[in-house]
Amino acid sequence: MRIIPIISIIFFVLVTLTGCLGKEEISDLALVTAVGIDKGEQENILITAQIARPAEARGDAGAGGGTGEPMWTAIAEGKTIFEAIRNLARFSSRRVYWGHNMVIVISEEIAEDGIVDVIDFFTRNNELRMRTWILVTEEKARDLIPVKTGIEVLPGESIDHLFRYSPIVAEAPKSDAMSLSMGYLREYTHPYLALVNLKSRGIAEGEDMPEFGNLPQAELSGTALFRDDKMVGKLKDRESRGFLWFIGEVETAIIPIEFPEGDGNASIELRDNSFQLTPKYENGEVSFDITLETVADLVELGVPTGKSYDELFTLLEPILEDYIQEDIEMLLNKLQQEYQLDSIGLATYFRAKFPQYWDDVKDDWDELFPDMAIVVNVSAEITNPQLFRLPTKPVKE
Amino acid sequence: MQLEEKLEQDFFSCLQQNVTEIESILGSPSDLVKRDFTIVEQVNLDASLLYIDGLADSDVIENTILRPLLTNEMNESITALSSEQIKQVLTKKGLQVPSISIVANFNDGIDAILAGNALLFVDQYKQAFSLSVQGWETRGIEEPQSDTVLRGPRDGFVESIRTNTALVRRRIRDPRFRIQSMQIGKRSKTDIAITYIEGLVREDLVDEVLQRLNNIEIDAVLESNYIEELIDDSPTSPFLTVQGTERPDKIAAGMYEGKVAIFVDNTPFVLIVPTHFWTFFQTSDDYYTHYTTASYFRFIRYIAFIISLTLPSFFVMLVSFHQEMIPTQLALTIAAGREIVPLPVLIEALLMETAFELMREAGIRMPKPIGQAVSIVGSLVVGQAAVDAGIVSPIMVIVVATTGIASFAIPDYLASVSIRLIRFPILIASGFLGLLGFATTFVLLVIHAISLRSFGEPYMAPYFPFNSRDRQDTMIRKPFWAIETRPADVKGNEQRAGKNQKPSPNKRRKTRYKR
Amino acid sequence: MSTQIRTQISNSILLAIVINIVYAKAIGVTQGAIARQVGADMWIVTILSILFALLMMWVVVIIIKRTPEKNILEQSKVLFGAWGEKIFSALFFLFFLGAYGGVMITIVYHLMDYFLPDVPTAIFIIATTGVGLYGLSKGIEVIGRFAVLGLFSISILNILILFGSLDNFHVHHFFPVMQNNLWSNLQATSHHNSDWAMAILMVAILLPMVKQKEKWNKYTQKSVLIGGGLILMWPLLQVGTLSPEVTGQYIISCMQMARSAEIGLFVHRYELIMIVFFSISALVQVMSCLICASISAKHVVGAKNINKLYIPTALLLGGFGYWIVDDHMRAMHYLEDYWPILSMSIIIGITVLVLLFGTIFKRKLVQRKGK
Repeated sequence: MRIIPIISIIFFVLVTLTGCLGKEEISDLALVTAVGIDKGEQENILITAQIARPAEARGDAGAGGGTGEPMWTAIAEGKTIFEAIRNLARFSSRRVYWGHNMVIVISEEIAEDGIVDVIDFFTRNNELRMRTWILVTEEKARDLIPVKTGIEVLPGESIDHLFRYSPIVAEAPKSDAMSLSMGYLREYTHPYLALVNLKSRGIAEGEDMPEFGNLPQAELSGTALFRDDKMVGKLKDRESRGFLWFIGEVETAIIPIEFPEGDGNASIELRDNSFQLTPKYENGEVSFDITLETVADLVELGVPTGKSYDELFTLLEPILEDYIQEDIEMLLNKLQQEYQLDSIGLATYFRAKFPQYWDDVKDDWDELFPDMAIVVNVSAEITNPQLFRLPTKPVKE
Repeated sequence: MQLEEKLEQDFFSCLQQNVTEIESILGSPSDLVKRDFTIVEQVNLDASLLYIDGLADSDVIENTILRPLLTNEMNESITALSSEQIKQVLTKKGLQVPSISIVANFNDGIDAILAGNALLFVDQYKQAFSLSVQGWETRGIEEPQSDTVLRGPRDGFVESIRTNTALVRRRIRDPRFRIQSMQIGKRSKTDIAITYIEGLVREDLVDEVLQRLNNIEIDAVLESNYIEELIDDSPTSPFLTVQGTERPDKIAAGMYEGKVAIFVDNTPFVLIVPTHFWTFFQTSDDYYTHYTTASYFRFIRYIAFIISLTLPSFFVMLVSFHQEMIPTQLALTIAAGREIVPLPVLIEALLMETAFELMREAGIRMPKPIGQAVSIVGSLVVGQAAVDAGIVSPIMVIVVATTGIASFAIPDYLASVSIRLIRFPILIASGFLGLLGFATTFVLLVIHAISLRSFGEPYMAPYFPFNSRDRQDTMIRKPFWAIETRPADVKGNEQRAGKNQKPSPNKRRKTRYKR
Repeated sequence: MSTQIRTQISNSILLAIVINIVYAKAIGVTQGAIARQVGADMWIVTILSILFALLMMWVVVIIIKRTPEKNILEQSKVLFGAWGEKIFSALFFLFFLGAYGGVMITIVYHLMDYFLPDVPTAIFIIATTGVGLYGLSKGIEVIGRFAVLGLFSISILNILILFGSLDNFHVHHFFPVMQNNLWSNLQATSHHNSDWAMAILMVAILLPMVKQKEKWNKYTQKSVLIGGGLILMWPLLQVGTLSPEVTGQYIISCMQMARSAEIGLFVHRYELIMIVFFSISALVQVMSCLICASISAKHVVGAKNINKLYIPTALLLGGFGYWIVDDHMRAMHYLEDYWPILSMSIIIGITVLVLLFGTIFKRKLVQRKGK
């Protein structure tokens, strides 16, 4: 066969001509693990990049010198995100590499002006993963990025783990590049992002100690709401928790409730939940029914009581129901009255159920939304007192 | 007179002339023994016995040739008899040698002497007797050095073709077992035998093998690899399309599967054709251990194959092109290890591979105790020092070592070396072109492999092309009670085991009640 | 192997080749185009296309069964004379030339845009066409065996993407079902139909080489169903996990889904492993396309020895591929606006013509067969 030598020549030429194309080895890259986007002077964009120093982050392996810090944080400015990042390269000795970025933090100022450039840049680039967390902070992103937070070596990793491992106390939605671009691109939805803030929660030795520690830590709390690409509002803890029901992220949650008799509290952990949203269309009126059923465990009871569990559960269930209902109603109130923004995607539910009427209402949806009747029905059942056969109560009484 | 012309001559009737001629052809070597004596006392017929010391057994000669001839009184007057009649007389009464044949010219006579026969000349006769008295020092049957098993027969082939065929025949007591012999090599005149079981083997396969063997023109065949290279289907390919083994049980098993074995004298390695790619991952052990264990071992070997073929290339590709694909934690660890390594990862990989090959090669040729020292110094001391000195990264050491160990897990040593060889193009291509290089060279290699044939059989069968019947003994080994048929190579007689061979207590109980 | 003996392939190998030649482009590039046109109905469009392919396959088998020893080009020689054959073969060659553009768009954009953005386009074209040429030199039998490996990779690829995507699957993305009317859905099928057209025309060329004549119908239908099933999983997952809007956003939508897939916490991204399997299947596509083009070229030129045509064909197809791929905008316009129309008219025109003439001049075919 004459073809074999021809093909080997082709490959030889390919290999020799291309040389070392694209050859930047992993040790020649500056691996960004978290990035913050702020507003700089004169409408400029300020990029704060947290870059891992592998030798310090992993110890050993013979690399000497260094400051001992596992990361290096740098700030660059530019008219666009791309320009700012390119400017970063002016003083970064290694090529800035985005493939391992875990977190993008956007400051509130930027978010209010519009984040379409963020969505575009971070989903157009092939290096970035679609599961990068994107958050909004009320403070300056450049203050938040260098903060050593959590137990992990790299702070970016800590925030990543916060998202992944703390669904039980979650008060912020899991917002990644995927959900952001989906919320932005889809026709009748609006994007939302998690809020992150610094709170003094950590404790450092040797300094004077305020009430909650002296070391600022990043905390996920709340939701930032967008109309198209502009941030228009914020949901605080309980509203945000109500919000999670609608985006289907509640798998388990801890509900603190006040014990009705005597002074004390009880905590209840939700186990199996079903959340159903039924659109209705009657006489040109759009309304929604929400049915929420939950089966819960009693995980803490701070009051000694002589009641049996059966009595206790019938006592606690309505309180639990009211609490959950309150969460959702607070959210709906805020969305309908304050922001008049359908962040929870009621439109998609309506459109899926009544495609034939959708054309009638779609143009006025934003006007109709504040006045829609949304009925919330919560039914809770507590079934499991965990290890104790009897409620905690000393026998001596 | 030229040697060729001398060889063409027929024997002379004068005994002395014959002996001198033979001595002159062979150049009167020191190991040529000439024993002159007279037989048949009445006539005192001169006779001369020629043989090569070391090839012929002198005890046998003494006991079966000389003693009977010298002591036996042959009363008959044999001067008038023809040499055929003398042969009759000698074989029936005189000699006690198992096989006697008559040779008439120098060519055959010399061949007989060099093959270890004794040549008996009798004066006045233009023919000579070739007496089979071969007996040279051979190695006893030992456990094979390669292809060792944990459970199973421990006998291995030796350097004598006759012993080897006997070892196989002991495992096949089938009258349809066939041996065809020939000699290959103009000067070496090496004995070659092909064996097969008639009725199981494809007829055209035997013809094909015979034809290819007959086409060989070479002066010497010292080992079966000479034959292997000369009958190979794809001489330019790095893949082995003929398998060689030291194990008689493997050859016997192959023959039951309709294959043809090629025995070569003076080597313990017997060839078997046709060979499929997957047979290099099968050992005799697979059939001597429980089928679940055997299938598990095979699975491990396939993994070893994939690792030894692709792991270094995959690593190089990831580190130098596709860093985003490495999980972040691992990426940091790799980057930390490479922090002070001065070499590009491809060069680092090639360096380590070379070092590894050096250790392997050095370890093989050395005597065993030194070989161990080499591997300890090489792997532990040099490896550790290289990492500490920052010449290579620890991960690269792990990658190369894993690859090396994986390649040793492939049972056939030569096949594993050939896999080691074909790994380098993939490694270099992925070092230069990343994913594109990896994918294209890998596909080139696969296409090459599946286009191969071994004696008419597709090399990658039964997977490419797909043959569901043969898969019962490829990726996994089904239990013997489940493999009812022979592989698809077999011509006729496809049933191998009876129906419903799966043992179960119920069956036995039923029969017991019947009694 | 000598080319004198008519090469034969088994039915199951035909099945593997058919699935491979459709798959690579259909799961990503095509689905993106469909999503831009019909949104969440893209999976319905895919099913409609599969029905179309079933019908066309059936027609092609009917056509070839009239002269089981001759492929469609040889049959057209009987029906329309030597010039008819040449025109038909030229059309076939044109089709595979065009199809090769689509194939190259698929494979190059997968590898280049997502993995090796710095490597020049030409190298991708040369490397893939080079591999295709090598496969070509080994003949259809080897390509068929390689296609079995391709089928195997396709299955693994589907399983991998399924594992990585199911976590984020949202059923409500599918509603409302049939948001467009049937007509606009049917119009959108032309994108996927043009993928199947490649398989159908290839079958029209290769079918006479397939061994068991009586099972032709069964195996071609089976291959469309299996291939269709393997492809259908992608629009379903794309709608469910990516949403049709995001799918439509990207040129290579399947890569976008692979990029978003994750297994557990450690394996954030494993699209590289998927793309290795993908490229095996895509290279089968390259080879099948090349071989069909060279067979058509053989009929155009009237050459006896096909081996000499391999290199010119590969050069021509590779050159065209480079021209298309080099400019992303040109590639997308070509693929979305011109190629479906071109391929649809070639495949429907040829099959209908041959079918009709074959029915009218049945005697002609039978007589030739008798000789």
